[in-house]
Amino acid sequence: MYAPATGKAKPVEEEVITEENVFERPDETIGFFPGQVLKDGYVSTFILLACVVLSYAAPAPLTEPANTATVEYVPRPEWFFFFYEQMLMFFPGYALISFGAVVVPTIFIGLLFAVPWLDRSPQHYNAVSRPFASVIGILVVVVVVLNMLLAVSRIMNFPTA
Amino acid sequence: MIGRIKTQTVEASQFLVDWMEHRTGIVTMLEHFLYEPVPKRGAWLYTLGSAVLFTITLQFLTGILLLFYYAPTTDDAWNSVEYIMTDAYFGQLIRGIHYWSANFLMAFIGLHMGQVFFSGGYKSPRELNWIVGVILLLLVVGLSFTGYLLRWDQDGFWASVVGMKIGSYSPFVGGYVIHFLLGGDVVGPATLSRFFAIHVWLLPAMIAPLIGAHLFLLRRHGVFGSEFEYTDRIAKLHERQRLEEYARYEADEDEGEPYVGRRDRADREGYERDGE
Repeated sequence: MYAPATGKAKPVEEEVITEENVFERPDETIGFFPGQVLKDGYVSTFILLACVVLSYAAPAPLTEPANTATVEYVPRPEWFFFFYEQMLMFFPGYALISFGAVVVPTIFIGLLFAVPWLDRSPQHYNAVSRPFASVIGILVVVVVVLNMLLAVSRIMNFPTA
Repeated sequence: MIGRIKTQTVEASQFLVDWMEHRTGIVTMLEHFLYEPVPKRGAWLYTLGSAVLFTITLQFLTGILLLFYYAPTTDDAWNSVEYIMTDAYFGQLIRGIHYWSANFLMAFIGLHMGQVFFSGGYKSPRELNWIVGVILLLLVVGLSFTGYLLRWDQDGFWASVVGMKIGSYSPFVGGYVIHFLLGGDVVGPATLSRFFAIHVWLLPAMIAPLIGAHLFLLRRHGVFGSEFEYTDRIAKLHERQRLEEYARYEADEDEGEPYVGRRDRADREGYERDGE
């Protein structure tokens, strides 16, 4: 036999909060079901509806069949590769292209893997209390967004180049 | 009569639940998974992660449906996609959901990553879940790259050619990697087969267990959320530390020796030593 859980955390009496256990349990909790599941459900429903509407309002693109003989076709990457494509423009020439195309992204991905060990300060979760990590993060976001805008403006100004 | 049917139904379902519980433990498991307490204040913020899970589930489902019609050969690939878009029942809808939820997936992954990064959710003991997340990101990027070629239209074809051209600039390994992906010297039938195998089998097979690991580690350590979920507990901690500090000073006074600053005491000890 089992006793149904209520989804509410049991009151812990006279718990001594130390630096070790302070982040063990949030102040206020809800049960994953139905509280969080309901919110996830709203968001998922909205996404599904958006996909359904968009698949008729803006059908998935399909250009003419691939022709390996064409030489003048200007391919465009998908929007989430825009920042990468644009970044390559800053590494012109054969000497630099491998640096920009592979070395820089590899270093970036390596740093991404290392993030938990680069920022280990135990109690500093708040973005304001660890300014170095936050500033780096904001810079990365700004660089990505600016590169995307550059790519968009380039495509709008030179649709065939 | 109705009362008896009702009682019998309740008894039958109770029997079924107990039968399953005794053999699989599924009821206890569901209890455990469903009633886990999660942070309340930022609950809407944490739907970003489940939005990623939902869009990737849509990818799996619509991808399987697209396989019913798609033919991964250079002669038929474009035609089969065209057929899906024009003739197949709900083909436009299925491909539309596959296409648009892929776009949403990339956007939600970015937002989810940002949320975890700026709330410090990767810190001890959750480092490994960040690692798994980065691997998942790379796999999804690989999926989106390989998926683009499969429609075998001008956009997808030439974007893949450019993409592989870029990849061939990798120092040392570039040539080998590209030769493996192309299955030859130029983009052709072998390339389409390989991209198809990678997009449909290899990467999904890698991604599925890693999603499991991501969710397992999430449950193992609980949802961290953000620091504002712990405001009261942090306040209580600081309050207790302050009181303990006061208590220490008072204990010093009880011993009869008045509190003196460190500098003061050092001076006196130095003076005493000089006096000897």
